[in-house]
Amino acid sequence: MRSDLALGALLLALAILAPALVNSYQLSVLLQVLMMIALAQSWNLISGMTGYVSFGHAVFFGVGAYTGALLLLAGVPWWAATAAAALLATALALPVGLLTLRLRGPYFAIALLGLNEVGRMTATLWVGLTQGGDGIALTPALLPPLRTSYYALLGLAALATLGVGAVLGSRFGLELRAIREDEGAAEMVGVNTTRDKILAFVASACLPGAAGALYAFYASYIDPMSVFLPALNIQMVVMVLLGGRGTLWGPVLGATLLMGIRELTWAQFPALHLALLGVLMILVVLFLPDGVVSLRRKRPRPAGRVSEECRERGGAEP
Amino acid sequence: MDLLQPGVLFQLAVGGLLAGALYALLACGLNLVFGVMRVINLAHAELMMIGAFIAWLAWRYAGLHPLLALPLAMLLLYGLGLVLQRLLIERIVEREELTSLLVTYGLSIILVNLGLLVFSADFRAVPTLQGAFYLEGLDLVISKPRAVAGAVSVVLTLAVYAFLRYSRTGKAIRGVSEHPEVAMICGIDVARIRGITFGLAAAMAGAAGVMLSTIYSFSPDTGADFILKCFAVMIIGGMGNFLGALLGGLLLGLAEALVGGVLSTQWAEAVAYLLLVLIVRPTGLLGQADAL
Repeated sequence: MRSDLALGALLLALAILAPALVNSYQLSVLLQVLMMIALAQSWNLISGMTGYVSFGHAVFFGVGAYTGALLLLAGVPWWAATAAAALLATALALPVGLLTLRLRGPYFAIALLGLNEVGRMTATLWVGLTQGGDGIALTPALLPPLRTSYYALLGLAALATLGVGAVLGSRFGLELRAIREDEGAAEMVGVNTTRDKILAFVASACLPGAAGALYAFYASYIDPMSVFLPALNIQMVVMVLLGGRGTLWGPVLGATLLMGIRELTWAQFPALHLALLGVLMILVVLFLPDGVVSLRRKRPRPAGRVSEECRERGGAEP
Repeated sequence: MDLLQPGVLFQLAVGGLLAGALYALLACGLNLVFGVMRVINLAHAELMMIGAFIAWLAWRYAGLHPLLALPLAMLLLYGLGLVLQRLLIERIVEREELTSLLVTYGLSIILVNLGLLVFSADFRAVPTLQGAFYLEGLDLVISKPRAVAGAVSVVLTLAVYAFLRYSRTGKAIRGVSEHPEVAMICGIDVARIRGITFGLAAAMAGAAGVMLSTIYSFSPDTGADFILKCFAVMIIGGMGNFLGALLGGLLLGLAEALVGGVLSTQWAEAVAYLLLVLIVRPTGLLGQADAL
């Protein structure tokens, strides 16, 4: 716990100092890493912890991007537009969660598989609001400068990680993981699994909502294809699996690794990049189900440290 | 032309049922795999796309008629299905549901993107069947490719149903579906049966792909539209229920055609999604309450 806080503080300090040390291209790469961390933590909150896989989280990113862009054009300041985008995405998640999470089993995953497409179709067809396939170009004068966007996304990523840390240490987090391990048993011991699942899902939607708005301000142009992006769904899944689902640092690590892979392959071969992610997904699920962070934990520890930790947790000596 | 005239509605309904037969063929395979090993194969529609591309390659480079490419595609996909089952699915059958969703999702991503790398995102078609039948007595026009695709789909679906019902292997498949442990005790090689099941489902998907290639233009990522429809069909008919999926497929085709004719084709695309929300009755029309 204490070491998590120390690591968090160190990373945060580095990230705060970064704009002074790097050029603007490097800064925009870092900005995207931070955005991916926020998205990965969002997916981690619902899918990493409960095991209910969301294949459609990009829809909240898209809704956030459009909300943010339209409000900015209407004269709302960028931070208020971002907050509104987060709220709208959250509000949208509620009916979706109510419909699909009351049931156990694969229905949630199946329903979410098409949700992003519904969002994209809506943005394309509702021309009066979204200007359809032409997309929305934001006036540069309205946009926050790159550094402001960077710090806003840093705040979001930090908030997301802090939030996941708080959930992991809470009774709610235990309940969510109990759902993943054995939903029937969790129900038997009095966990309100339906409420927990819906709560986690709705809470997880605010992060991509805000991230979408901030992305729109950073990119200054959005269209249905660029924000209701199927590849984003894939990336969210891979980041969390690769890093370690249901853990605090797994998604952070996964997002960083993914951005590394993306820098190497995305620009030249987008299809190859995605095919690689598919391979990675299968390999991780089959051979490293707890992600890269589990590699460290598997190392045998000196006996003294184990019992120390046991005492700390109030457990018996092994 | 008044769209609500009985004659026009009849015309739409027949067209819809023919399209629905294709959904049924595809969804029955998906349902079969789910019934036997509780694996939801998110790459099922990509197996269909492989079938469509086999038909296209056979037609383009060997001049083979799609109906002749049909057995070839089914055979190749049966083999591919066996290999995939051995390499991937068998490893995850006993594991939690999340695992099979993620592995088959990964597989679908790989297949789509390899398809895009090899064939690009261009749309293709196999326009070998053309023209239409005119049934004078009924005042009905049916396009030839749709009629053939619909008929082949229905025949294949019923053939697989008969195979499951009457053949020894089919009975073993149903046995494993009902209770794997008991089936094992009765001397059924469960892993082998799972392999045959997955191969059979892949062959059905391949056949659906060949038929699809004769009526639609397609690209490597066309499968995404179909997998959702498949799930809608599965949920309408009841998960794991073979005949339910046949009925569900026909119903979806019918609903899409009527909505498309009366409202617009864009709404028709939304029908499947609206039906998916029928999740409020998750057991479907013919499904067992304890199917999951």
